[in-house]
This record gives sequence, C-alpha cells and structure tokens, in this order.
Amino acid sequence: MSGFPSDPGTPVPGHAYGPGSSRRIAASLRVADDQATLFGPQGERLVVGHARRRDRIGAGPSLIDIDDGWRFETDAHEMIDTLLGHEQKAGLMEYERFHPRLVLVVLACFAGVFLIWRFGLGVLVAIGIALTPAPFVSAIDRGNIAAIDRVFAQPSRLDADRRAEVRAIFDDLAQAAPEPPYGDYQLHFRHIPRLGANAFALPGGNIVMTDAFVRQFGDDDIIAAVLGHEMAHVTEKHSLQQLYRSLSIYLLIALIAGDVGPVAEDILLEGGALMSLAYSREHESEADAIGIRVAARAGYDPAALAVFFRRLDGMTGGGDGPQWYSTHPASRDRAAEIRRQIEELGLSAD
Amino acid sequence: MQNPTIHKVEFSGNARSYFGIWIVNILLSIVTLGIYSAWAKVRTRRYMYQHTAIDGRRFDYHATGMQIFIGRLIVVAGFIVFSIVSAIPIIGLVAIFGLLFLAPWLINRGMLFNARVTSWSGLRFGFDGSYWRAFRVYILYPFLSLFTLYLAIPFAIRAQHSYSVNSHRFGTAKFHFESSVKPFYVAFLLAIGWMALAGLLMFLVLGGGEIFAEIAMAERTGRAPDDALMLRMGIFYVLLILAVLPAGFIYQAFLRNAVYGATSLAGGHEFRSDVKPMQLVWIGVSNAVAIICSLGMLLPWAHIRMMRYLSDHTFILANGSLDDFTGQQEESVGAIGDAYADLEGFDVGLPV
Repeated sequence: MSGFPSDPGTPVPGHAYGPGSSRRIAASLRVADDQATLFGPQGERLVVGHARRRDRIGAGPSLIDIDDGWRFETDAHEMIDTLLGHEQKAGLMEYERFHPRLVLVVLACFAGVFLIWRFGLGVLVAIGIALTPAPFVSAIDRGNIAAIDRVFAQPSRLDADRRAEVRAIFDDLAQAAPEPPYGDYQLHFRHIPRLGANAFALPGGNIVMTDAFVRQFGDDDIIAAVLGHEMAHVTEKHSLQQLYRSLSIYLLIALIAGDVGPVAEDILLEGGALMSLAYSREHESEADAIGIRVAARAGYDPAALAVFFRRLDGMTGGGDGPQWYSTHPASRDRAAEIRRQIEELGLSAD
Repeated sequence: MQNPTIHKVEFSGNARSYFGIWIVNILLSIVTLGIYSAWAKVRTRRYMYQHTAIDGRRFDYHATGMQIFIGRLIVVAGFIVFSIVSAIPIIGLVAIFGLLFLAPWLINRGMLFNARVTSWSGLRFGFDGSYWRAFRVYILYPFLSLFTLYLAIPFAIRAQHSYSVNSHRFGTAKFHFESSVKPFYVAFLLAIGWMALAGLLMFLVLGGGEIFAEIAMAERTGRAPDDALMLRMGIFYVLLILAVLPAGFIYQAFLRNAVYGATSLAGGHEFRSDVKPMQLVWIGVSNAVAIICSLGMLLPWAHIRMMRYLSDHTFILANGSLDDFTGQQEESVGAIGDAYADLEGFDVGLPV
C-alpha cells in the first residue's frame, strides 16, 4: 500500500475485547519491531504481545488476535495492511469480490455439476461397489427375502413337478450366464398375489419368481429369456449401483449445495430421483441385451423375450404412460429393440 | 425492568459481496468432490456472523474447516455403515434402536459445539446439556404424542425449545425460557388450518375427486391410466404443494415470535421478535420462485433478503450495560454433533 501517509508507528483506531469479558473498549493498536501494543481510551497499555491477523471476509472487520486472549477489531483495513503487511490478507477475498470474472466461476460451476453428474457419480459408485464385501451383499439378500416372506409372500402353490421343470431351465441358464459376483444363483418360487406375474433379482444372486408368472408365461423360452434378464441384473450389479447412486446424490447435494433452503432442497432431491429413473431404464435395456445372449447360449429362443414384452404390452392395454417417469422402458420399444439385436447378432435359435 | 435500552439486530451483509463468497465456495466444493464444503461452511458462517451485530458488537464464528471436515468424515462413514447394516434383519433393528439412543447425545454435542464456536462482543457462548433431558424432549415426547394423533405435539415442541434455551449460556450468564403452551398451539393450529383449507380449496377447484376416481377406475379395470390423466394429476400435485407451502412459514413466524418473547438472559435482558407471518410467507415463496427461475443463481440474494428481514424484526431489551458479561475457559469439542445436524437438516446456528 504505497502512497498511504501512515508510517508503521501510527496507531490504528478500533475496538478491543479482553479475555473472558464482553466489554467493548475503544482502543488503538501500535506495532513496532514485531511487538504489538494495545492502548485503551486514556492511552493506558492494555496488552503487549504478538499480533496474528485472521483472514477477512466480505465487508467484515479486520480481526487481530493478540496474546492472552485479547482481540482487536477495526474497519481501518488499509492502515492494518500497512502495519501488519498486505500478504496477511485473505487469499480468497480477491477472487470473491463482485467482478465480471465471477461469470467464469458461474460457468465453471455449471460445467462442474454436469461433469459430476455424468462421470463423478459413476466413479463414486464404482468405489462403493469395489469396497463392498461379499458377505454384506449376501446378508442384504437374506434380509430382503426374510422381509418379503414376512410382509407379502406366501409359499409357492405350484406343484413340485412344475417347479422342477422351471428349475431345470434355471440350471441351464445358470450354466450359460456369466459368473455371479457374490454367490451362486438361486431360484425361489413364491405366491405373491400383490405383484402379479413378476420375477425379480436381488443383488447377491437370488432370483424370485411368482407363481402367477409361471402360470401366465408357461412357455420354456419365455421363462429362460426372463431368467437370463434377471441374471444380467445380478452380474452387472444393477441394484447395488442404484443404491450407491442415490446415496451419492444425496451426499453430494448435501455437501456441495449445502444450505440451499428448504424448498429448493426438496426440488433438487426430487429432480435427482427423477433423473435416476433414466439410469434404471438404461439398466433394464442392458439386462435385456445380456439376457437374450445368455438364453441363446443356453439353447433357448432369445426372441421369446420380445414375445413376452409384446404380450405384456397387450395386457396393460398399451398405455405405459410417458417414458420419462417410468423405471422401465415401454414394452413395445423393448420388444422392437430385442428383435433388432437378435437380427444383428444372428442369435436366433431356429 | 425499568427503562430498558432497545437494540435492533443490525445485519450488514449484502447480496453482491455474499454472491462471490457463495459461488467460489461452490466451485471449490465441486472441484474437490465435496471435501472443501467443510471450509465453505465456515466461510459462509463467518460472513453471516461478522455482518450481524447488536449495539455495534459483532457476532463471530470460530470453528475451523478441519474440525467440520473431521466431524463430517466420521458421520458420513457412520451413515454408510448404518445404511448397509440396516438392510440385515436383526442387526438392522438393533442399529435403528442404537441410533435412537445415540441421537440425543449427537444433538447435545452439536449444540455444545456451536455454542462454543460462536461469540458476540468478544465473548463465547456455552451449553450445559443433559443426555436424559435431551432424550425426553427429542425422542420420548414426540414418540408419546403419536398416541394423541399428534394433538399434543405443541407440548413436545415447547419442551424442546425450553430445553435448548435453558441449556445455553452467554459467558456465565444463563438464558431462561418460560412460556405457556398457548402460543405453540396457536402456531400449530393456524398452520394445520391453512393446510386443510388450502388443500380442500385446491381439491374442489381443480376437481381432485374426479381425478382420483378415474385413477381408481383405471386400476380396477387393470388398464394403465392414460397420459392426459397422469398429466392432470401431476399439475394437481404441483398446485397442491404450492398452496400448502405457506403453512410452514406461518408456523415458523408464530413460533419464532413466541420463543423470542419467552426468552431472557441473566441480568434482566429480554428478547423480542415481531415477524409478520404473511410477510414471511411472501418472502419465502417469492425467494423459492426466484431461486428456481434463476437456476439457483439468486440463492445468495434470497438468503440475504431473509436474513435482513429477520434481523430487522429482532430486538434485545437490554437492562443496563452490555459490557458486564464475563466468561470462563471452555474446552474445545469435536464437530461430530454439528455434522450430524447438517446431515439431518436441522440448523443449530445463529438464531436470527
């Protein structure tokens, strides 16, 4: 700060607070030979010691800690700069100043949010999955099956022969499918009226099929194609990915946006959930693609998955609702995509 | 108290200078994948506190970014372990019970930490909590009010404020809270009343009944509801949320006035808040709209605007000099409780 008239000997006016007291004292600070002296209103000496400057924020005061718990504050920033040196000023303050340069910072923030959304989350999810021990995943499976049995499932009412037939298909598929990451594939039959004709996979390799599914889609090829699809969810760790993805989104929003206010925070979280649905649809398509390959390798007709979706489409009346709020792609689109892939790969079993 | 001196809370922050701090904080947080956010929090707090003063004496925030960071690290690790463990049957149940009993301790630690890193007029605040009293007011009472269909919840809310205020000190001077339950019921009933009325009006005006009947019909026939119906339901929900939104601000305004009016500080100093519910609703809702329309860029402006309104309506009735408070040596504490409070979304910061 050249050109400023004060020499280091000039006292800086401000206020002082002593240790353990709320008393506000009109005081002045003088620094000579690295020794700071605080003077009271009558010129009496309050404390002598080393002065440490805290970084300034915005239009806040210059704050100086002096030994023995004394503190000095002043708005005479330039005088303090002269006294204690410009380099002790806050490093960030210059960048935070309201200046056209901030437009670049804003743009960088938008780019950063996009990059985190596009790539950063994937990295976090991959780290999470790599750090997850297999026994935890098996425990999640056991817990979920116990919960399903307690809440809405009943023992299967299919006769033993029928179950053995389906199990034989399952074994063929398990042979042809990629190695399960956390433990063997296991098939469970359950009577779950609330879910209708349904099959789903848990992350540890357990696959649940409802009685209604076996009754309505009795065809071997369809059962094989759907089992292949569910096994693909297991090998690609889709449910773990979704678990970690939602955890990461929650954490990142909480950490980065921090205090966004109650209304805006809800909107962010809802928006995140809505965008996650896109990933869920991506997972379904991926499982379709892998599933038909597994079914074909096991000797079943992969086109049966397309037949299955065509029939599903007919049952729901064709109205899947708009795609963007669904966890699954529209059945019609999936059937078409499956046929396209089968043709492309020459996968057909016949 | 004869002839108290009335001091208004002075807030000198402005949107221009805060914007720079906020956006630089966000950029650094993004670049460091959230790690810097601990330091960002300290910077934001220090800005807000240093720009808030009573009788020319400023507040200040003394936590360090590293303290906040370590606290968050521990809580995030705990949160992840808890999420995974709670998926396992019996252990999960034990974990949930464990958290129930851990929560009062964490809440106490959070309030203790925040009190000790906050100063006004050069003197730190303090907090003398008790585990079992915290357990009663934050866990037991809300749980018991469940059996009254939440009709007794204002008693629990009053107990929470009473516990929090009575446990705080400024230096060695204790805060005191004394209030009937009436203002808590007024705030509660007005908010519920607004919600019921606004909800009912929306339901009638937009034909909510018809929409739900059609959806129920669609479900019974096994056909998925068509797009137009889903769209109408979406619009209905958005408008419903907008109509119900003011209830939160109405509740906040009445509660704030009640709590400040019932609080005093040893030495005969009293507090007042005269926030107008409808003005708070206006500021809160227009802030939310501005934030959304500006893709978040007006957030600092909204924050400052709310701070300014609240401080303009907060007063201290000082009984004599504010120079005579004294303090004692306080040990520093870890920031685990503060990090937990951050994650749970409740704020134990400066009550302006």
